[in-house]
Amino acid sequence: MTNPVTKDRRHFEDLAVGEVIELGATTVSKEMIITFAREFDPFPFHLDEAAAKASLLGGLASSGWQTGALSLRMLVDSFLSRVASCGGLGFKDLKWKNPVMVGDTIGGTVTIAELRRSASHPQWGIVTLDFDVRNQRHKPVLTMRLANLVECRDPEPAA
Amino acid sequence: MTRWFEDIATDETFPLGGHTFTAEEIIRFASAYDPQYFHIDPELARHSHFDGLVASGWHTVCVGHRKMVDALFAEEERLRRQGQEPGVSGPSPGVNAMEFKAPVRPGDTVSYELLVTGKRPSNSIPGWGLLFNRLTATNQRGELVYRADLVGFSKLRDYRMPLRLRLLLALTRVPVIGALIKRGS
Repeated sequence: MTNPVTKDRRHFEDLAVGEVIELGATTVSKEMIITFAREFDPFPFHLDEAAAKASLLGGLASSGWQTGALSLRMLVDSFLSRVASCGGLGFKDLKWKNPVMVGDTIGGTVTIAELRRSASHPQWGIVTLDFDVRNQRHKPVLTMRLANLVECRDPEPAA
Repeated sequence: MTRWFEDIATDETFPLGGHTFTAEEIIRFASAYDPQYFHIDPELARHSHFDGLVASGWHTVCVGHRKMVDALFAEEERLRRQGQEPGVSGPSPGVNAMEFKAPVRPGDTVSYELLVTGKRPSNSIPGWGLLFNRLTATNQRGELVYRADLVGFSKLRDYRMPLRLRLLLALTRVPVIGALIKRGS
């Protein structure tokens, strides 16, 4: 059955290994950092400038989970919203390379590293995406490998 | 947990409590960070294989992180009440693996649990150790929601030689005590 929401989007068959997705740019404000930290990561070094200066981070920095969530948001805007995505399977090897400080602008690329059909669900394929998120000085801030399900246009392709 | 690195036992499990997800907060989180139709639009979500609104996996993970932070703060309080100085947790270098297993729907209650699977002193930051934690999230039907292998920094209590020397030096400047230390040495 065709999904009316995703029928005109790119399907699994339309994706190619090596494709590079440009993430665009997001500037992280003090307000964004504190709002997120209050709800999800209320360590003093994400909420308070003085405490942040005294910590390993050396200044007010976003929660690593916020950096990840903002990276995901950029992927949705630049890629997943135009693909017949049916949700994430998870990720591995997430590394927070450098903290994202107040006023930093993050962006970067995501590269399609792998494409394989699901063994158990012929209507789905799995796209593996490598994140390389950097700040405005091109220093790496986050890398990870994310796996996402994508609908196949043809569940049983000709051999 | 907010104990000194040396006091953390591996294979120890910490229950972190539960959280009930509402449609409102699922949509609010996803609108900011993961605006895919099955996370933000209950009507369109019925066309997805989820057959309805589900929380972004990252949302369930961020709530799990909050639960862990709350447990750390509670442990810190408990140690202070017992007259002990709590340890210090630091930022995390990363996540080795995160697997989303069962979707979270409005009204679902997710319970979180942390297991310390291993620890070692950090090679890159002197005075700190690395903790390897497995976080599991389970719904009210006992289904696994996600499983994460996390890494965290924790401060070493016994890395204190320079501090002790500084303290001894300070004490020698105090009248009487300073004289006693000098006489003793």
